[in-house]
Amino acid sequence: MSQSAAIYLSGVSKRYGDTLAVDDVCLSVAHGEVFGFLGPNGAGKSTLVEMILGLTHPTAGDIEVLGQPVGSLAARAEVGYLPETFRFHDWLTAFELLHFHARLARVPADARTERVPELLELVGLKDRASDRISTFSKGMMQRVGLAQALVGEPRLVILDEPTSALDPIGRRDVRDRIRELGEQGVTVFLNSHLLSEVEQVCDRVAIIDHGSIVAEGKLDDLLNAQEIELRAGEGAEAAARETLGEGGVRQVNGRLRVRVANDDETARLIRRMVEAGVPVYDVRQVGDSLEDLFVRVAERGDV
Amino acid sequence: MSAHLIAFFTLREALRRRVVLAAALLTLGYLVLYGVGVWFGYRDLQETQDGPPGLTEGVVSLMLVGGLWSLNFIASVLAVFLSVGALSGEVDQGTLHAIAARPVRRGEIVLGKFVGFTLMLAVFIGVSASLMILIVAVITGEIVGGSWAGPFLMLLAAMLLIGLALAGSSRLSPLPNGVIVFTLYATALIGGVIEQIGDVLESAVMFNIGVFSSVLVPTRAMWDMASAQLATGGFAGELSAGPFGASNPPSGWMLLIAFLHLALTLGFALRAFERRDF
Ligand SMILES: Nc1ncnc2c1ncn2[C@@H]1O[C@H](COP(=O)(O)OP(=O)(O)OP(=O)(O)O)[C@@H](O)[C@H]1O
Ligand SMILES: [Mg+2]
Repeated sequence: MSQSAAIYLSGVSKRYGDTLAVDDVCLSVAHGEVFGFLGPNGAGKSTLVEMILGLTHPTAGDIEVLGQPVGSLAARAEVGYLPETFRFHDWLTAFELLHFHARLARVPADARTERVPELLELVGLKDRASDRISTFSKGMMQRVGLAQALVGEPRLVILDEPTSALDPIGRRDVRDRIRELGEQGVTVFLNSHLLSEVEQVCDRVAIIDHGSIVAEGKLDDLLNAQEIELRAGEGAEAAARETLGEGGVRQVNGRLRVRVANDDETARLIRRMVEAGVPVYDVRQVGDSLEDLFVRVAERGDV
Repeated sequence: MSAHLIAFFTLREALRRRVVLAAALLTLGYLVLYGVGVWFGYRDLQETQDGPPGLTEGVVSLMLVGGLWSLNFIASVLAVFLSVGALSGEVDQGTLHAIAARPVRRGEIVLGKFVGFTLMLAVFIGVSASLMILIVAVITGEIVGGSWAGPFLMLLAAMLLIGLALAGSSRLSPLPNGVIVFTLYATALIGGVIEQIGDVLESAVMFNIGVFSSVLVPTRAMWDMASAQLATGGFAGELSAGPFGASNPPSGWMLLIAFLHLALTLGFALRAFERRDF
């Protein structure tokens, strides 16, 4: 199991004083997968990523990266990382930063001279290559950070909110880059709360809230569970709870929203309501977007 | 192994930082002033005809030791300023995240930084002390400066401070770390003075306080050893006691203590930084 995974976490927790930043997370990301890791602010995304990189030590649990125990130098040589803060030594020029990181990543000299200008071109900083990073705008810093993450030709790329400072074109470029990486068989772990971004590039996602994973799976599967919205008379809510259980029933703007697994359940619910003498005026399917899923899962606050 | 990459990176950063540029310019200005002072002092000295034999050499040597004392002080301040935020400061700013995620051991980061700062200080002490010896030689025609061990002991004092600052920086943020390191440095200085007074007053307690402070932070003791090496002629040795050195320089044991100190602070920095969360 663990050998075939690019990232493998088992029972990983991290405690800071009284806060449990990450709580017993088990997760496995397959080789070549583009994996989206979602969650509200303070959910524990960055903490988890820092543990995967060996920057932060877990309080409990095991982590393997590319088949090696976390922190092993061999694994790190094949990992690229864009930190959330994307702060780099700003007395360096973009060109110098990439060269330095290429050397740290053990890229041979001739490959370095080839790769660095290529990457600068790729992130649209060719013209600013010999300017100091201190003169860069935030978005330019994030771009050079992305180039830095890719400079070692990594097999695993970990991006912590890579587009937070980018303009729309920059965001699209990053999405295209991530797709390309996926096509090349590179594993991508993408931390984000930009749902459209994740929706567009990721094969699989996990949603973390208060340190625990509250939903995980293929995007299609997660979004396929549907919701229907009903406008109905007295007793509708009770009938729904009776038929489908307490879990997926709630009131939104005076209408009843019910989660159903499939159309059969919808039919069964309506039949039950009619039998119980509840008037049903209107039924419509509510398309579940990732945003709905995210908000629902995060608002629930528990599993 | 990537420690050398970190070391050269650190050296390059230090060279590009304003603090080093400022120190270099100030030192240059100081050397000019110093040259003027030596020139006038030497002229007055030549007008004194009735001194004991060896007076001229002794006084010239004293002027050099005094000048080097100031350089030693600047080097100490520079060492602390460079290294006080080298670990924690960078972790807090986020500049170390991408680097520490590379195939680099934490220990290599600590050692690389230590070596980088040491190289920086070696350049600073080497260049400025050589210039000072040259200034004195040109003006007075006397080649003084004693043995090469002097500047090396000055460098060792700076290395002790770098080790101390790195140990603190593995956990503390730059400001509290700076306060602690400077306080310890000042303790060693004051301790040296107390030791001398204790020596004169034959007060064992004061003397022991001084010795204890030197063991705690052997920077002052390193300078005392350095000044004994730098002063030439028995006469200069006597004269340079007081502000610029101890009347009886520390024994060779102090050197051993200094190296132990360095090993301890670096060992602590390595361990503490290894366990640190980003
Ligand atoms: N160094 C630290 N010391 C103490 N608490 C911390 C530390 N780092 C993170 N935390 C806490 O751990 C929790 C998770 O933080 P984390 O940065 O992982 O969240 P996140 O999901 O990345 O949020 P965001 O979307 O805002 O980036 C938060 O409650 C935070 O306050
Ligand atoms: Mg975060």
